[in-house]
Amino acid sequence: MTLLEAEHVKAYYRVRDGFVKAVDDVSFHLDRDVIMGLAGESGCGKSTLVNTLMMNIHPPLHLIDGHITLDGNLLSKMDKQTLKKKVWGILVSIVPQAALNALMPTKKIIDLVRDVIRAHMDVSDAEILSMARRRFEELNLPVEALNMYPHELSGGMRQRAVIAISTLLNPKLLIVDEPTSALDVSTQKQVLRLLIDLRRAGIIESMIFVTHDIAVLRQIADKITIMYAGKIVECALTDDILYNSKHPYTRGLINAVMTPEPEVRRRGLVSIPGEPPNLLNPPHGCRFHPRCPYAMDICKREEPPLIEVKEGWTVACHLVALGKR
Amino acid sequence: MFLEVRNLTKIFTVGFLRRKEIVAVKGLSFNIREGEFISLVGESGSGKTTTAKMILRLLRPTSGSIIFKNRDVWSLRTLNDLRWYWRQVHGIFQDPFASFNPLYKVDRVLYQVFALLGDKDADKESLVKEALEEVGLRPEEVLGRYPHELSGGQRQRLMIARCYLLKPKLVLADEPVSMIDASTRAGVLQLFSKLRDEYKTSVIFITHDLGLAYYVSDRILIMYKGSIVEEGSPEEIMEHPQHPYTKRLREDVPLLYRKWPDF
Amino acid sequence: MVSQLLRDLTRIKKFDLSIAIFSSILMIGLVGPMVYQVNPTKMIGPPEIPPSDKYPLGTDSYGRDLLAQLLHGIRNSIYIGATAAAISLAIGVTIGALSGYKGGVTDSSLMLVTDVVCALPSIMLMMLIAAYLKERNPMLVALVIGITSWPWVARAVRSQILSLKSREFIYMSKMAGLSDIKIIFQDLLPNMASYIFMAFVLLMSGAMIAEAGLSMIGLGVTRGVSLGMILYWAQLLESVRRGLWWWFIPPGACLVALATSLLLLSTALDEYFSPRLKGG
Repeated sequence: MTLLEAEHVKAYYRVRDGFVKAVDDVSFHLDRDVIMGLAGESGCGKSTLVNTLMMNIHPPLHLIDGHITLDGNLLSKMDKQTLKKKVWGILVSIVPQAALNALMPTKKIIDLVRDVIRAHMDVSDAEILSMARRRFEELNLPVEALNMYPHELSGGMRQRAVIAISTLLNPKLLIVDEPTSALDVSTQKQVLRLLIDLRRAGIIESMIFVTHDIAVLRQIADKITIMYAGKIVECALTDDILYNSKHPYTRGLINAVMTPEPEVRRRGLVSIPGEPPNLLNPPHGCRFHPRCPYAMDICKREEPPLIEVKEGWTVACHLVALGKR
Repeated sequence: MFLEVRNLTKIFTVGFLRRKEIVAVKGLSFNIREGEFISLVGESGSGKTTTAKMILRLLRPTSGSIIFKNRDVWSLRTLNDLRWYWRQVHGIFQDPFASFNPLYKVDRVLYQVFALLGDKDADKESLVKEALEEVGLRPEEVLGRYPHELSGGQRQRLMIARCYLLKPKLVLADEPVSMIDASTRAGVLQLFSKLRDEYKTSVIFITHDLGLAYYVSDRILIMYKGSIVEEGSPEEIMEHPQHPYTKRLREDVPLLYRKWPDF
Repeated sequence: MVSQLLRDLTRIKKFDLSIAIFSSILMIGLVGPMVYQVNPTKMIGPPEIPPSDKYPLGTDSYGRDLLAQLLHGIRNSIYIGATAAAISLAIGVTIGALSGYKGGVTDSSLMLVTDVVCALPSIMLMMLIAAYLKERNPMLVALVIGITSWPWVARAVRSQILSLKSREFIYMSKMAGLSDIKIIFQDLLPNMASYIFMAFVLLMSGAMIAEAGLSMIGLGVTRGVSLGMILYWAQLLESVRRGLWWWFIPPGACLVALATSLLLLSTALDEYFSPRLKGG
């Protein structure tokens, strides 16, 4: 069952010298009850994509083309007012990068909760407090935190509080953008556990988890989408991405992971030569071709189409399109 | 002993009226032999960057000493003595952009160190070109450019090229790959191993990533709240961790081929 | 890099406006006296004549040509302003940089000196020094203003240095064995160039007003003319009460225009450089 459907979305940043094509003709599909990992390196457009998917767009970012439908609602045609009232916080919520550092230092956590609830419902303070307590208890978060200021909480606790507040109104879709990059591994595990509990408890239906850390996705994602230079290159079940990936970039990215395991030790340290391209002037044809060990002539001329090789598994690669993989 | 750190402590006092003391490093002791590659693994707040700055003679310790080739590093006073030290002990930091003065071309970062080498007749240009090639950079691509014109990976390689130019006895690298794209990290990491393999340079590698440390180190030292809690070879640390912090660290690192049990 | 900088700056309206106002008055002050060659300090006509064909800005109570006074006055006031600003800048930057970079005892003692100079009422100090000197040429007046106006510059430079000195590129220069002086001049100060320039503009604006202030209490230049001195005589001979508008309005307007255009210039520069700094 489809929750989110995006077709041929183009979102560019207008800069002095032209357009930065951060999201360039991306078609994206998300089912209900799925945790989807969105992986790629810096500058691949993943943050821009998720913000575009929920129509969180301001200049210099512009939606140039495409449709986005969430839970049957055509988001790409809605104006800001409707989005604020009916969509944001209610259908979809985002925890942006470095959210834990963006909390208003002069407001207690309960005040932030009140702001969120009051924006959508007219309820008494007492109601708000009991809603907050119930939710915190449900998620195994210390209720005392409600009465504290952000600087009194640890980084991990702040991040968990932000996640709890973003999901107060039970949005169907939760988007988290690099939620654990600044945290140490033990705190990261706590935050990941919280995210999984959200789905288990039915508070959210699906989640998009944006990160560059494949090992983290391996632990919590059902499916993984790989982005490179503004385009989606592969999307499949987590195990398929890890063990049977079809796109050379996906393979390269998996091989570059360095976790302390004997399998990785046997494989050795591997890196992909070159660097991700500048999105002002991406390469012609397949954007990965300058770094691809299997690049053919057609890769330099034509962009590979995104094909479905199996149910739920899409790849954009000429090798696959021509049946060579 | 090549480099010995004895009981190093650093206490920061913050605050205006009510002065609070933050103990960043507490009684840290360890040593490193010539040609050894060790990693200092710790999370943010463990005091590892503070330790690096003290060893590099950039931040004064509150107490304790750092002995290099039988000389106490913090007793060195004259510019000549300091140059003697930095000729042999050099550092690389985490942020490849902040390591460059944005107003100058990147060449400066390399040519600067000839003052340490003291060889007036050296053919500077070819030495610089050689160093660049050793780190996989093409001189035409990077020389004459400003820092903002290069990528993070190129900038960090330039910094490492500086070390290839100097060929110091000891290099201290503080999170050198954490701000570089994952797909290009291994290449940059190997440049440190090459320094050690080819020029017998000792390396103190500072990181929060146990995985990285596992692959490049001879010995891993685990830092927690300003002190070293465990020390051992990569295998010992991963297979038989002793200290509860090390055990927790090992359990909480997300792996690729094993799923966490209760998830 | 510099040409790109100028091109970008001229896109800002405030910059264009302020430069236009300041440079036109400056031009008048530089070229004027050569074109209108009348002696501003000699009596050349009947006293207190309003503007006419013969005397474009009229004459003062001593029969002196007020247009000549204005032209020479602009020149001297700008000279005093710029010189005082340069003196203050040199002292402030040196003390601030040494203090911020060296830290420790150097820092404490230099900041003590700064605090003392800051706490002294500068007007009193200027009055004392100025009154002690019988002959006051423009350079001396500039000096008096210059050595009392630097504390805020020292403090501001010190805090910028404090924040810059723990940046990694400073560590890299240190490890390359550069001496402290070289690091201050090669690495630190160039990165503060925009701030130093803005400080100069602000200092100059303040210095010109300080000069007017000193002159109004009779401690301005003893020979020659400045805008402040014109206002001094105008005020002495009660020109306001007596309606001799051609005496006090032109110099007052010029002074205000000069000082304001400089302030506007500093806000234009601030606007240009600040978002850059944040974007990093």
